[in-house]
Formats: sequence, structure tokens, C-alpha cells
Amino acid sequence: MTFIIPIGPQHPALEEPTHFRIEVKGEEIVGVDLRLGYVHRGIEKALTERPYAHGFYLSQRVCGICNATHSLAFTRAVESVAGVECPDRARYIRVIDAELERIHSHLLWAGIAAHEIGFTTLFMLLWRDREHALDMRELLFGNRIYATGTYLGGARVDIEQKHIPQLTRALAELEKSTKHYIDVCTSDRTIIARCTGVGVLTKKDARELCAVGPTARASGVDFDIRRDDPYAAYDEILFDVVTERDGDVLAKVVVRLREILESIEIIRQAIDAMPKGPIRAKFPENVPENEAVGRVEAPRGELMYYVRSNGTNKPERVRIRTPSYANWPSVRPMLVGGTIAEIPIVVASIDPCFSCTDRVTIVDAKTGKSRIETKEELRRLRK
Amino acid sequence: MNVNEVARLIKRYADEVKIVGTRQVFAATDKERYIEALAALRDNDLKHLTTITGVDRGDTIEIIYHIHCGESLLNLKLALPKTDLEIETVTDIFPGAILYERDLMEMLGVQVRGHPDPRRLFLPDDWPKGVYPLRKEVKK
Repeated sequence: MTFIIPIGPQHPALEEPTHFRIEVKGEEIVGVDLRLGYVHRGIEKALTERPYAHGFYLSQRVCGICNATHSLAFTRAVESVAGVECPDRARYIRVIDAELERIHSHLLWAGIAAHEIGFTTLFMLLWRDREHALDMRELLFGNRIYATGTYLGGARVDIEQKHIPQLTRALAELEKSTKHYIDVCTSDRTIIARCTGVGVLTKKDARELCAVGPTARASGVDFDIRRDDPYAAYDEILFDVVTERDGDVLAKVVVRLREILESIEIIRQAIDAMPKGPIRAKFPENVPENEAVGRVEAPRGELMYYVRSNGTNKPERVRIRTPSYANWPSVRPMLVGGTIAEIPIVVASIDPCFSCTDRVTIVDAKTGKSRIETKEELRRLRK
Repeated sequence: MNVNEVARLIKRYADEVKIVGTRQVFAATDKERYIEALAALRDNDLKHLTTITGVDRGDTIEIIYHIHCGESLLNLKLALPKTDLEIETVTDIFPGAILYERDLMEMLGVQVRGHPDPRRLFLPDDWPKGVYPLRKEVKK
């Protein structure tokens, strides 16, 4: 006999609203059903009702953590449809912007993961060091969050020479502390006990369920848009695509921390290689009829924008596929077979971003499973 | 696979194969061949379906399967007249398509036959029947 445990939409173990229905047999999880949709805002439609210059800002608001990559993906697709080439200096500014975002996002995630397993000291330390990345974003782009270096046709702001020494110092601090955290995470007894062999996603499942980003790379899937479909200046920068083999939560921790080290190296190379010159090309008001796909590697994985233009100043269709949306189907094999106590850390391990996904209801492909009593939920929401 | 290899592979199943830039291929297939085309891609170890996009083009709904092919991206299009919006599910070829097809069903009103879990995805359960928010006829 199985029982259903409802978790969410509001729950201490969840950072954002979602609703899980976990089917358990004793302690063991045997089925998972998930309903998202509590933060659906209809952004795809809203983007088609705004000029490109306004849509650019709206695209950043899809996600509060990875706004720079959202604007970059939108810009990449829109520049392709308009046939606008971004100047060289701006391409490097975009790389620095995107990598600073990856560093702060991964540290934020690592902090949440530490919090989920009850390691509050580590959570505080990780978030303390995340401040370095946020301070640099403020210094270079004007704000800690919700600021981006990208703009349609180039970069929004130039990186001033006088800020480079500060950036270099922050990177050195980040490198030192990240190396320390990798040591901690691979040697601390608590972390190993809570994360090893937990929430395993096999390579086969990761590929079949089309997982992306660190979630896929922790399962040994060698897939990174920065290398496979380079944008900005990534084709002129050397870096490794970090993968691990085990697919458990610990592998996901290690992949993200090692990616921070790669990001630091990428920023250093970008600072050295950044040419002088203009930072923005003119972007036309009306865009001729065309279509294009712009993909970037967001901190959580492959982010895709499809843009179709129709000759006016507004796009005809914009499709956004965020990395969290792609990773939800992988949560089921990660949870099933585990125990109730593992739910928070396993769910956290894909670094889910609910606003990104917006909306959803998922996963259990077996039909005939108990239905969701959504009327009750909706009634509650309306109050 | 680079763009030329992808174009060569898909030519049997699609018309208007067009290489855009160095990394993207656009191709238009039809209802008779798209399942075969997707299965052929999967058999060539191209297992990553990035997403499925639906576009309202007036009289037709255009469905685009975006398939990551290593070094390149294939955008395989399938145009359906609005009078006959029924397709077969591709979840048996790409299990990761499960959410994208649900998205397609509720946002554009495409019927996906054989989908293992055809519930609503994003819209609330009291959303009126037959109203598909990404269709052109839907106004604010």
C-alpha cells in the first residue's frame, strides 16, 4: 500500500513555489508527480507585444539569477534575425558578464545545497564569498543582480581599465576559496554521507531525458553550448568542459565548483585578450522577416531562444526553453528509489529555477495515477 | 556532426534543407516523414531534443523540432493546416519531449496522439476549453 505525501506549494524545504506529490511505500519513494505553474507569467506572449529594445529588458526578467544569460540568448537570436554583428570588444565584455554570473549562481546554489543538508556554516561561508562575484558585477555593470553587460548590437557598458586590478584581486580570492570548498566537499564526512550515491541520474537517463548543464555533465554527458555552439568570444578562449561520472548529488556539487575555477580562468583570458574599439553596433528599429535560434550555456545549462521576425519592430514569435524546464523530467529517476529525507537535496541538486520553468505539471508517465486536486489549490491561490 | 553531415542525413526526409551560418540547419519535413526523420536522427546517436516550438503562421501551425547534433543544431519544421492539427507523439523516440508536447497541446491546440500524460502543463485547470493563448486570434 502506498501513501501520497504532498509537499508545497509553500514549504520550508522549497525556495520557490511548486507542488510535489510524492508516492511512498514506507520510507521509499515509488512515484513522483509534480505541479509547477505557480509563477507563470506568459512572457513568451508578452515579448511579442513589445519592440525588441523593450523585449530585451523583459527577457532579463525571466529569471532573477541568470538575467545576463537570458539577455545574451535573446540578443544572440535577435542579432541573427537582424543580421547585426557585435563588435569584438563587446564580445569579450559579454563573456566576462556571463562568467561572473555563472560564478555567483554556482556559489548561490552550493550555499543552498549546504543549507539543505543542514551544514549552515558552509552555507554562510559560500554566500560570503559569492559577494566577491556580486561586487564585481556591481563595479563593472552597475548592479549586483539585474544588470547586464549585453545590449542589442553590442555591450551596454564598457569595462574600464581602472577596474581591472579590483577584478583580478576578486578572482584570486574566489579561486582560493573555491579550491578550499572543493577540498571540503570531497573530504567532509557529513557531506559525503549525505551526497554520495544519493539522487543518482545515470548517463543513459540523462541523455534520454535530454538533461542539460551541470545536471547532465555530472552524469558524464559531455555537452556545453560554449564549446558546441560558441557565441560571444568563447571560440577564442581555452577552457575545459567539466564532467563527472557518478551522477549523484556529490558529482553535481563537484562539477559546479570545478566550473567556477574554469570560469575564473575564462575571465582572466578575456581580460588579457580583450581588444580596444567600439562596443556597440547600430541595431535597426524594424527587423526584416527572418527566423533564428540563439543558444547559450546558462549556469543551469543550455538556454534556447527562438525568434521569428516579421518586418516590424516587434517579434512575431519568441520561444524560450530554459534549462530548468529541460531538467524537470530527470528529477523523477533521481527521486524514485530514494527516501523521503533525500527529497530536498535531490530536488535542489538540479538547481531548479521555478520562475525560469514557469508553470509546469509533470512527470509520472504512468497514466492512471491519482489526479491532482487542483481546484482546491487554485481556490487557495485566488484568496 | 557538422552542418554538412546533418544536411546530408536529413535530405532523405525533408525538403528545403538550408544551412544557416556555420552551425545551424533548417529543414522542412511533412507528416508522412517526420517520425522516420526523428527516428533516423536518434539512430545516429543524436539523442538531445533541445525543445519543440510551435508557431502560429496564420493558416498553418508550424512545429519545429530543435535537435542538438553535437557541433550543430537542426531545426526540423513540420507545417500543419489548422483544419488538421493532429500529430503522433515523439516521446517514444525522445523521452525528453514529454513536457514540450504538453506545452504544444495547450498553448497552440495541436493534438498529440499517443502522449503518455496529456494533462495541462502551464495553464490553470479552469482555463476555458478551446482557447489557445499563443494562437494569433487570441487577443488580450
